[in-house]
This record gives sequence, C-alpha cells and structure tokens, in this order.
Amino acid sequence: MRLRTPRLAAIGAVVACTSLILTGCGGASEESGGGTVRVVVANHPWTDAVLSGIDEFEEETGLTVEVTSYTEDQLSQQLNVRLNASADDIDVMMMRPLQEVRTFHENGWLTDLTEWATTDETWDWSDFQEGPQASVTVDDQVLAVPLSTEREVLYYRKDLLDEAGLEVPQTLEELEEAARMIQERNEGVYGFVSRGARAAAVTQFSSFLYSYGADWETDDGTSGIGTPEARAAYTFYGDMLRNYGPPGVTNMSWPEAMAIFTQGRAAFYTEADSLYTNATDPESSTVTETVGFAQFPAGPAGSRPTNVPAWALAVPSTSNNQEAAWEFVRWATNQENTLKAQEGGVIGSRASAWEAQVDGTFPEDLAEAQRASAEVGVGYSHPVVLNVSRARDIVGEPIVTAIEGGDVEAALDAADQAFSEFLADERE
Amino acid sequence: MSSTSVITRETVEAVQAADGRRERRHRPGGSLESRQFSVFRAVFLAVFGLLCILPIAWMILASLKTNIDIYDPAKTFSFSPTLRNYSAVFEQENFLEFLVNSLIIGVGSTLLALVLGVPAAYSIQRFSMGKSSVLILLSRVIPHVTLLVPWYFIFASLGLVGGYSSLVISHMFISVPLIVWVMIGVFEGVPEELEEAARVDGLTHIGAFLRIILPLAVPGIATSAMLSFIFSWNNFVFALVLSGTDTRTLPVAVFNFIGYASIDWGALMAACVSITAPMMVIALLGQKYVVAGMTAGAVKG
Amino acid sequence: MTATTTLRNTPVLTRASDWANKHRKWVLAAPAIIFVLALMVLPLAYTMVLSFTDAQGSIQRAFDFVWLDNYVSILTDTTRFWPAVWRTLIFTVVAVSLEMTLGMAVALLMRKPFMGRRAVRVAMLLPLVATPVAVAMMWLLIFEPTIGFANQVLGWFGIAPQGWISDPATALPTLMLVDVWQWTPMVILILLAGLVGLPEEQQEAARIDGASNWQRFWHVTLPMLKSTIIAALLLRSIDAMKTFDLLYVTKGTGGGSSHEVETLNIYAYALSFDYNEYGMASALVLIYFLLIVAVLVVLTMRRKGAQR
Repeated sequence: MRLRTPRLAAIGAVVACTSLILTGCGGASEESGGGTVRVVVANHPWTDAVLSGIDEFEEETGLTVEVTSYTEDQLSQQLNVRLNASADDIDVMMMRPLQEVRTFHENGWLTDLTEWATTDETWDWSDFQEGPQASVTVDDQVLAVPLSTEREVLYYRKDLLDEAGLEVPQTLEELEEAARMIQERNEGVYGFVSRGARAAAVTQFSSFLYSYGADWETDDGTSGIGTPEARAAYTFYGDMLRNYGPPGVTNMSWPEAMAIFTQGRAAFYTEADSLYTNATDPESSTVTETVGFAQFPAGPAGSRPTNVPAWALAVPSTSNNQEAAWEFVRWATNQENTLKAQEGGVIGSRASAWEAQVDGTFPEDLAEAQRASAEVGVGYSHPVVLNVSRARDIVGEPIVTAIEGGDVEAALDAADQAFSEFLADERE
Repeated sequence: MSSTSVITRETVEAVQAADGRRERRHRPGGSLESRQFSVFRAVFLAVFGLLCILPIAWMILASLKTNIDIYDPAKTFSFSPTLRNYSAVFEQENFLEFLVNSLIIGVGSTLLALVLGVPAAYSIQRFSMGKSSVLILLSRVIPHVTLLVPWYFIFASLGLVGGYSSLVISHMFISVPLIVWVMIGVFEGVPEELEEAARVDGLTHIGAFLRIILPLAVPGIATSAMLSFIFSWNNFVFALVLSGTDTRTLPVAVFNFIGYASIDWGALMAACVSITAPMMVIALLGQKYVVAGMTAGAVKG
Repeated sequence: MTATTTLRNTPVLTRASDWANKHRKWVLAAPAIIFVLALMVLPLAYTMVLSFTDAQGSIQRAFDFVWLDNYVSILTDTTRFWPAVWRTLIFTVVAVSLEMTLGMAVALLMRKPFMGRRAVRVAMLLPLVATPVAVAMMWLLIFEPTIGFANQVLGWFGIAPQGWISDPATALPTLMLVDVWQWTPMVILILLAGLVGLPEEQQEAARIDGASNWQRFWHVTLPMLKSTIIAALLLRSIDAMKTFDLLYVTKGTGGGSSHEVETLNIYAYALSFDYNEYGMASALVLIYFLLIVAVLVVLTMRRKGAQR
C-alpha cells in the first residue's frame, strides 16, 4: 500500500484556481485511471483481514491500491454524496447489499459485473451461496460481490456465569433471569448490553423481533410493527437495556457497546458475529480469556437470528478504471482471501469456505453458534425498502422510547402509522 | 457614535494610549470598598481565565496519555507522557496530507477573496453603496445548509465536487463578505484627501488606490486575511459534503476518526490538538489583529 | 483586470484605463458582488424550484412538481419539524442570554487595567479560534459519563455522575454550555471595544455626583453602549441559530436517538444527505432561512430604536 504524500499537483491546482480558470482544477485528481485503484471501505474486520495482504496484489498486478476507510454511517452518507456527484475518485466501494444495491441500481450508479463474474471459471461465481447471490442481483445483473455474512449471536462471560452457577441461556426468558442475577451479584457489572442508538439498533433488534414471531412487514406489505408480537419484542428489548444495561445506551452503536463488554462491564451482549475479534484480541479487550459465544436465545417463536449478507464490493459506474477495479474485487473475494477473512473471524459467502476446516484460531463455540444460526436465520436485518435510512429511523424510534421507559404503546402506534404511510408512499 | 473598528497602526496605538491614560487616572486601593472590589475582580477574572484554558489543557493532557491511562481515574494528573498518539496520527492516518489540503484551501480561498474583496470594500465605502453592504450582510445571515443542496447540485453537474475548486469557492463565500466587512472599516480611516493628493500628482483614481491607499491599509489587510484563513481552516460543513477522498480537510478527517473500531480517545485528542494548535499560535502572534477583526463592524453607529 | 498606470503606453490601454477609472465604482466592486450574488441568489432560486418538487434519491433522477405538498407536510409535522424549531430558538435564547450576561460582566471588569489583564485576554482568545470540530470532540471526552473529567470533578464534591451529552434530558443544555464557553469571548471583545470608545466625562460627572457603581452602570454606561450591545446580540443570535458543527459532531445525524439536539440545521442536513429527500429539504431550508431573517428584522428594529 502506497503511503500517500501530498502531491505537488495539488499546489499546482491552487495556482490554477487562483487564475480563476476553474476548469483547470475541476476533477478530484489529475491522475485517475491507469495504475491506481481507489477503494473506499468501512471500518470492519474484513477490511483489516484482507487488506493486510494488499502488497501481494500490488506486486502481482502492478496496480497501486489506495484505501480510505470510514465508519459505517459516514460511509453510506459519503457514498450517497459522492455517487450523486458522479465522482470518479472511487473505483471500488464497500456497500451493504440489502440497504443499497437496489437504490444505487435505480440511480444508475453501479457497474454491471455479470460478464466478468459469470465467465470466470477459476474465480467461480457459483461457489457463492444463494442468499448472498440474490442480494446483489437485480434484473439478472450481478451488481456487486458479497463479502461477508453476519449473524447475530450472544456474547457472554463464562466466568460470571460459572460464578453464579448458571447455564448458558437458551431462551430470552432465561437471558433476562441470568442478566438480573449476575447484575445483582457483581458490583459494577451490567447484566446486558446491546446497541441502543436509534438507527444502529435496528439491525440487532431484528433478531428479537423475529424470535418473538413478528416481522417488519406483514404478508400483504403493510407495517408489521403494530402487531402484539412486535409490541412484546420492543418492550422486552427496551426493558432489558433499561433494567440491566449501562447508562447512556441510547447513544451506543457497536463501538461503544463493544467497549462496555470488552472492559468487562457487561455479562451478556447480542451483536454480529463478525465483530468477535474485538472481544478476543488482547490489544483491545480485557475479557479475551472469559468470553463465550452462543446461538441467539429462543423467543416465543424459537431462535430466529439474523443471517445476512452484510457487505459487498461494487464498482461505481462513474469509475474510469473499471477493469482494474474488477481485478481488485476479484482478488479480494477469491477463495484464498475469503478463507483468510474467515480465519480473521469474518464469515464469507462462499460455500467452499464454509465447508473448509478453519484452523484452531477460531473459537469452537462461535463456529457452532454460526452453523446453527445459518440454518434458522432470517436473511435481512432491517425493512427491505428503497429509503432504508428513513425506514430505520421510523422503526428505531420506539426502541429508544422503550429503553428510556417512555410510553412504548403510544410510540409504537405512531411508528406503526408512520411506517404504513411510508410503505404506501414507496409502493405507489 | 464613535467608531473604533478602524484598524490602522494609529488606532491600535491610540487604544493602547487610552489604556495608559486610564491607568494614570485610576489609582486603585483607595477606599475599603474599592479594595474589596479589586479582590473580587481578581478572583472572578482568574476563574474566568482558567475556565477558558482548562478544557484545552485537559485535551492536551489526554493526547499525551495511553488509552489505558485515559480510562484510569487515578492517572488523571500523574502519568508518564507519551507521544505515541501523535506518531499514530501522523504516520497511520496520513494527517500531513489533510493538513496540506487545509492549507491549500485556506490560502487559496483567502488570496482570491482578498483580490475580490479589498477593491470592493474600497468602492462600497467611498461611494456609500448601501445595497451592496446589505447583500454582504445577507450572506452572513444565510444558513450554510441552505446553500449546500443547490451548490452540491450545481457543482456536481459541473463535475467539481471532490476537487479543490468547489472547496475554495465555497470557503470564499465566507471570506469575501468577511474581508469586505473588515476592510470597509479600514478604509473609513483613510482620509479621502489622500486620493485627491495623488490625483494631483498625476495618478489615475485606480492608480491612487493601488499605490497610495493599499499600502496604508496593510494592517487591515493582514487582519482580514488572518481571520479569513482561520475561518476557512475551521470550516467543517462545506468540506463534509463537497470534499473527495483526496481533498478532505482536517476537520473532516478528524470527524471520520470517531467510532473507529472502538474509540481511540488518545489519538483523537492528539488529532484535535494538532488541528487547533496552529490557530492558537496565529491568534497569539497576531492577537491585536484578530481582536480588531472579530470586533470590526460591530462597534458602529 | 484593471489596467494600471504603468502600462499606459498604447492608446488602447489608455482608453481601457480611462474607461475603468470612469466606472471605477463598479470595476472595483462588481467582481465581489457578482461572486456573492451568484453563489447566493442562483442557489436560492434553485432551492425555491426544488422545494415545489418531489426530488429525491439521485439528483440525476427526473422529478415531478408537487407544489405546496412539501410545505404542508413540514408545517404539519409535529414530531420532527416543530420540536426542531423550538430547539433552535431555545438553544439560541438561552446560550446567547448567558453569553451576553457573562460577557457584559467580564467586559466591565476588564475595562480598567489590572495585573494580568493581558493573560486573561490571551486565555479568552483560545476558545474563539479553536476549531469547532476539535472543541466538540474535546468536550465529548470531558463529558464522557464514565471516564470524563466533568464527572470526576463532581465526584470530588460527592455529587453523583451525570449523563451530560449522552443523556437525552441534559444533552442540549450541556451543549449550550459548550457554546457559551466558546463564544462568550466574542461578546466580551465586542463590548470591550465599545467601552474603550466611550467618553470618560459622564462617568466622572456621575462619580462626583456620588452615584454608586451600579447606578453609574445602569444610567450612564448602559444607555451609551446600547447599539454595541445590540450588535453583539445580533451577531451571536444569528450564529447560534446556525450552530451545526458542535451538534453534529457530538450527536451525529438526526441529533441523537431521540432527536434531542435536532435543530433545524441538523434536520435539514439529515433530509438532504441521509434521506436524500431533496425536495423536502429545500422547503425546510427556505422556512429556516425565513425564520432567521425574521429574528434579524426584529432585532434590527430594536437597534434602530436604540439609536433614536
């Protein structure tokens, strides 16, 4: 990876600007195309795992890779803004299939990768699992390549459970009981932590919703968050975080919630499995020895965790460098790298990698939880609509109300109505 | 109403002289009441000054701690300082690149805004162009978010988003009115007779402006340039939307830092100190000018 | 650009120079005025057009005219819009009142020279020039509920830790305090500049008449400072209504999980760049702009009154 140094060209650009010849310094860079692939990614374990080997790719192909990393929120806003502006300074982008593929495709922002993907025998598109394949395919066009799948699992502290003489909770009821007991016995330890920030919480709350037998939408395409099952799920999630969670939880996305858990201040934590290295890495965690993983506990409707194609790589239609961009995508998603990411804890979408025996670095109980979750999981973790940002805000609102101990029923009535109107609007 | 917004060497000196005058006139320590008052004043102002500085000192302290020390209340004041955060910021995060971006955009927009703003201020002042000064005011009033969507549309269709030019232009939207505003006050302090005298010597009007008036206005120009640069350096919202991956300015780069894996407070504070330090140095070195610029136009009849 | 006198060696240049000098008023002023106009009027007109449409998603997409629909749905929206209006006004009124009060007190105390006046001046300048994004992050750490210095200080006095910025109930007041910290120096500087310009005679006369400090301030200083005070009030009110960096950096898109710090500015940003609902956003920013102009008009009318 080339360390980018300030270019003299930039100073030239100012001189050009100063003479007010604005066309002289229009585009983002004077050196697009050719030997540089600009990659925009999210701060995600996949990024760390695969990009560590980028030097090999650069040597093999003679291309230079420039990587810019954003937090998830920032990434989706940046992509929106940059693609809207027909920016040519992104060649490869990391994106969320469920949230962005359809919208981006409607806006004409994605390069059709079908030709490259389906004719490449060695790379082997058919090795990708059906669900992830479907999530990046619109109108029979392959628009992105799935990177990682995520399942919501239960992170827990073995030592605290043993000390309290408890078994790993199998149901949500047992989870609540265990959280209560451990919190009572241990000063300064919270029973449960999870995401509480309005939009961020939606993807993790999904598993609770499904396990209670509810869904974002009913079968006839209207809002499903007003049903008794959904109401019970919202109430349960809010009660858990209010009674057994840390203060300020409504500000927490995964970095903040993970910090609570890794500093040893929470007994249970429901989160995406792909983030597990944060808890097992001694650099960032104080609970490396005592963290355990289990399948998401069963609700009234059984255990229905999310099992979603979380991220994919795509090539913007405005990139001037699509060949090289595909080279990068092909390399980053080949079998070898998929396996490598898997060793780093990120489960890919390739069947071959799923079947491969991963070496012992991978926690045994996590692998077990992932296998079980994949069988019963649900393939989406938020409403599947075009304007996902707004939808997440609408359905996330009652989560916050529930956590704060406000009037959940009223909040759900309002959100249910708003979401119904939203769906009607989108499907006119 | 008197006008003290005029920033020439003379006024700065006059203000200091006035301070001196009062010093002689006001002899503290007379009655008991005034002694109590002096004590109260000293305490009040000391507390106020400390409140201004303490948070910044705290930020600098935190930037010299490891994350483990930041999380440990026992290590609030006793810790072994480390520069690791700074090396992390400058080595891993390409901070120098963003610094150069900020410099390019700050200097570029300031220079261009001076070229546009200084002559305009002279003209507006000499010809009392009321409507123009209202326009300048209006541009200060309009919320930037109001302009962002249409600018974004327009710059996007011109293919300028992500380049330096869209950032320079957007920052000039702040600098030009600012410079005009400050410079109107400066030119008020330059006697009109000077221009007339130069005309007698055979210079044209514009010649007189360039050769006689401008040199006199140098302190004012320094003031407005300094302010313009500070405002550009500190600006966040324009770059948030209009910058590309290569043209990000420091504030945006630091903002992207948040929530990175788990929050790396030490590095974050080091980054914040690095952004703010240059501005503080400028403010300390050019104290009089910054103060004069900040108050320009406010103290008018 | 303009021809200077050094180049007057050809008739053409002479003519150009003569023309430039004759029309110097506009030759000098036009570039800047056209620049500001172009960046303001065109976009405003464009925003106006967009506000009558349902533009969303992508700017390349075709949009339909829906006329007043956006305005109606905004003005009847009691969950996001009206609370945002109140937050904008409350933030402005509270923060600016505190800034004016504290600023006035400090300015009066700093009027007379004393030991260490220079040090206080320097200390005051620092918040003023500090980058708002960095300031926001700094306070985010100071107010962090578990490791922040603020709760540590409270702990010394035996006060229970507070949620500060992370608690929806206290987030906005806490951020007002941050605003006060950063911008009070601005008010002090303006008021000090006004105080320096005041003639001493009335003060002396009042002192000889035996007026107390308080009476002198109330009956002599304050009336003479009125227009400066209103100028400071105007400047700060406009800027406070436009606060963005501090709120966005500390609470993110949408102003927190319960939108607890969502002012009009933050809401407009979310509509534009998170939801990509450009039509709706355009209608909102126009309403927002009108609100600011209204506040400005109210305050300047008072200012004119003060000058009578």
